Amino acid sequence: MLFTWLMLAGSILIIAPTEWTSSFQLAFLRIFNWPLSIGENISLSARARGHVDDANAVPGEKYRALLNYCTSLEAQLREERERLDKLTGLRERFPFGNARLVEALVYPGKTHGEISVDKGKESQLAKGQFVLADNSIIGTVSDVSTGGARVNLFTSPTSNIPVEIAGTKRFMRGEGNNAAKILMMKDKPKIGAEVMAAKAPGLLNAPVIIGRVARCERNAESAVLWDVIVEPVCDMERLNDVVVIVMNPEKQPN
Amino acid sequence: MRWFRFAALILLVTVLQASALANLNVGPDLLLILVAFFCFYCNTTEAITTSFVIGFAADLISSPIPMGVHTISFGVFGTLLAYVHRVINIRNMPFQAVAIFTTAILAGALSQSLALFKGQIVAANIWTVLLGVSIYSGIVGPFLFLPSAWWMHIKTNRFARR
Repeated sequence: MLFTWLMLAGSILIIAPTEWTSSFQLAFLRIFNWPLSIGENISLSARARGHVDDANAVPGEKYRALLNYCTSLEAQLREERERLDKLTGLRERFPFGNARLVEALVYPGKTHGEISVDKGKESQLAKGQFVLADNSIIGTVSDVSTGGARVNLFTSPTSNIPVEIAGTKRFMRGEGNNAAKILMMKDKPKIGAEVMAAKAPGLLNAPVIIGRVARCERNAESAVLWDVIVEPVCDMERLNDVVVIVMNPEKQPN
Repeated sequence: MRWFRFAALILLVTVLQASALANLNVGPDLLLILVAFFCFYCNTTEAITTSFVIGFAADLISSPIPMGVHTISFGVFGTLLAYVHRVINIRNMPFQAVAIFTTAILAGALSQSLALFKGQIVAANIWTVLLGVSIYSGIVGPFLFLPSAWWMHIKTNRFARR
């Protein structure tokens, strides 16, 4: 009898809409934020961090953020020049001029290639919106509830993001292990080449850097084609805060 | 059964699983190890209750997998393990390791199947990860029984069939 009742409770949890049950998961992260962050710091403390001895040297995080910002600026400048050449007349002066950038704190504990953040529906977050860290795309919003949201990292095996690489548009699939893969490219790209997240109407109106080519492998099915392994340009293991791009936000009443 | 100590232990292990062990691609499933522990050293009623409660705790930290999946899979196979233990006394560490491995494989397979049923996209390498987690849990599990028994004030030489 006890087993039956408990199975019934479990079945109710499964059948219940995800919007209701995800609030339990977010509540757990909010309540146990402090011990979770301690545990995560213990596991990450094993990684050696470089010490900046030279007073003129730039810390690693700042360097990455600046490099990513410059790379994105170059891509946006290229876009603007192409627009000027075509004389479309529909160009925007600033790529994110009509967007709101929502800063969100990351709850500790990355699970299954997803992170949880402390902003949700009340901040106009919606599924599919792009998420930035260190001025680079790290993933998209996969689920939103009141008070929180989940972000699917592009390195997650369930992620499949359109990107631009070497002037071509492809899909990039997450591989886990902090990497993603672009399958079956005809031309082998240069190691270190930028991979940009492709524009998406209503979500991203200018290409933004998402990763760099780490290595290239011959495709298993066709040896003349290349599989490109892409690694992120920011430290995905130490995400503390991110920025969500909310395009065309609704004006909040005063 | 000391339920307050049980609650504290589950909370501690859940936080540990969601933080320190979350960054490992393949690591032991401490919550599943606890399910096996309570199935081996408690009576059937307590084993069933603890299996479902631990499954609920696993659901809390298993985002994006929907809730209810681990509650049912841990509950079903925890109950099964408790009834098997009534018939076959699993006292040796190697047998306990095999039991943990088998339970992890079966519970993981049921969890993924239920997640697919709920429309959750499953990664292509999930079965490799599941095998690795099961092996890891089977190896590590029996060694964690003594500290758990100490905390719960359970005598580990209590192998009487119930």
